[in-house]
Amino acid sequence: MNKLKTKLSDDQIDALEAHLAGTLKPVTPPMEIVQRLRSRIHFPERQVIVLRLKDWQRMLLVFGGVMSGMLVMITVARAFFYLMRRHM
Amino acid sequence: MLDKEFNEEDVLMRAAQGDRDAFGLLYERYLDRIFNYVYYRTGNLHDAEDLTARVFQRAMNHIKNYTDRGVPFSAWLYRIAHNLVANWHRDRSRRQEIPINDVPILPSKGDHPERNLVRSQEESTLLKLIRRLPPERQNLLILKFVENMSNAEIGKIMGRSEGAVKSLYHRTLLSLRDQIGDQHISLDNE
Repeated sequence: MNKLKTKLSDDQIDALEAHLAGTLKPVTPPMEIVQRLRSRIHFPERQVIVLRLKDWQRMLLVFGGVMSGMLVMITVARAFFYLMRRHM
Repeated sequence: MLDKEFNEEDVLMRAAQGDRDAFGLLYERYLDRIFNYVYYRTGNLHDAEDLTARVFQRAMNHIKNYTDRGVPFSAWLYRIAHNLVANWHRDRSRRQEIPINDVPILPSKGDHPERNLVRSQEESTLLKLIRRLPPERQNLLILKFVENMSNAEIGKIMGRSEGAVKSLYHRTLLSLRDQIGDQHISLDNE
């Protein structure tokens, strides 16, 4: 008798899982809650974040480009002065 | 959009360095999941909102301490949520209880709007029974059914092995079956 009570048949498991799946469903937080939460934690809108990050990546690329360009110019200038000094 | 453009590891690294925008992306990714978890654990819309905000605030303050030692970021977030909900239940038990019938029902994703208006008596009773279960069993059911997680994923969040989760799940179903029997709910599939 006790053994029966501590066992679940496949049908019982299926039925229980169907009930649980029907009851515990993902819910959508109301929009006003999402907005309030965002302002409470001081987060901007998703699109703004994405745009900012894209800008940040672009800035990094520009900075990298400028630094590389400066390095090339310094190297050329140094080579030029070296050659000039040798000719003099 | 987030999944296509950003790698979570990079975003996490930047968030850990204090980049609020990077943390904002994590917030966007996990907001619904954490809200769902807290909502089902509290059964209270107002407190679910408050606790969700506190989960992300705490995560933002401590993200520097987060290191991926086999525990995914989502598991770390759920653990924060779990601790805050546990504190909430402890504080609440010292004050007065909110009647379970007052719990507002939110629309489920993908449900027909009319279906959202009325949750059947059986479902309400089952929700009541679930909320009477010990916290770890409630966690398990929420993660399994609301978040659709596997036993292995649940194990990472709960700090248990996959086998232990499976066994706990079986014991939870047994206990629910007995309680459902006491409430005279039919277990027949429609």
